[in-house]
Amino acid sequence: MKMAIMILEGPYQHQAVDSAYHFVKAAQARGHEIVGLFLYTDGVNNANKFIQPPGERNISQRLDDLGAEGLPIVACTACSKFRGMRPEIKVENVRLSGLGQLANFLQEADRMITFGD
Amino acid sequence: MSNKVAVLMRKAPYGSVYTAEGFRTIMGIAVFEMDISVVFLDDGVYALLKNQQPGKLDMKPLGDGFPMLEEFGVRKFYVHGESLSERGLGVDDLVVPAEVVSGERIAEILAESGKVLPF
Repeated sequence: MKMAIMILEGPYQHQAVDSAYHFVKAAQARGHEIVGLFLYTDGVNNANKFIQPPGERNISQRLDDLGAEGLPIVACTACSKFRGMRPEIKVENVRLSGLGQLANFLQEADRMITFGD
Repeated sequence: MSNKVAVLMRKAPYGSVYTAEGFRTIMGIAVFEMDISVVFLDDGVYALLKNQQPGKLDMKPLGDGFPMLEEFGVRKFYVHGESLSERGLGVDDLVVPAEVVSGERIAEILAESGKVLPF
């Protein structure tokens, strides 16, 4: 099955992005295709390359790794502006784009899975 | 592949950004010819109230936007009847002519849509 992912919460405050990461890994391992991952609202903060968690999982590094493996990861441009998530702050394999990209993911996928509150 | 999607409005229109972003998402994807059903339930029904005045919260009234969505081809509005009545509200209190539906009907709408964006 083709699936798209949306994340609505930021790093470390909420389990959303962690669950999304494990969901993507598990789905891919079972042969499903993840067509894209959309970071929306506070979700854009997960792409901050300056995240340095002492002794814990590095959330932005995990996203960067997923992107490097070929998963398209997009952070909402407007949400990023509201939160000061400038292009030079985000990890390399996350790009900024608008809701048109979410529409593309929706059209490409059989199911949309949202991780949020 | 299908262009059908359901947008769920579950939360109060002020106090968090979810409902406002749900509205912005509808606007943003409607121009890409998505077939959108908008479902209001729980505190999300407050988003459709007439005469919202959130100025003291530094917010703009969210309800004003929903009638404009018809211009973008968004015409399918559903509101959970039980959520309305629990809050002492009726269809006359709402800014758009939404269809009042049961929880069972909402489950069908979500299943028919295939893809769901919950806010």
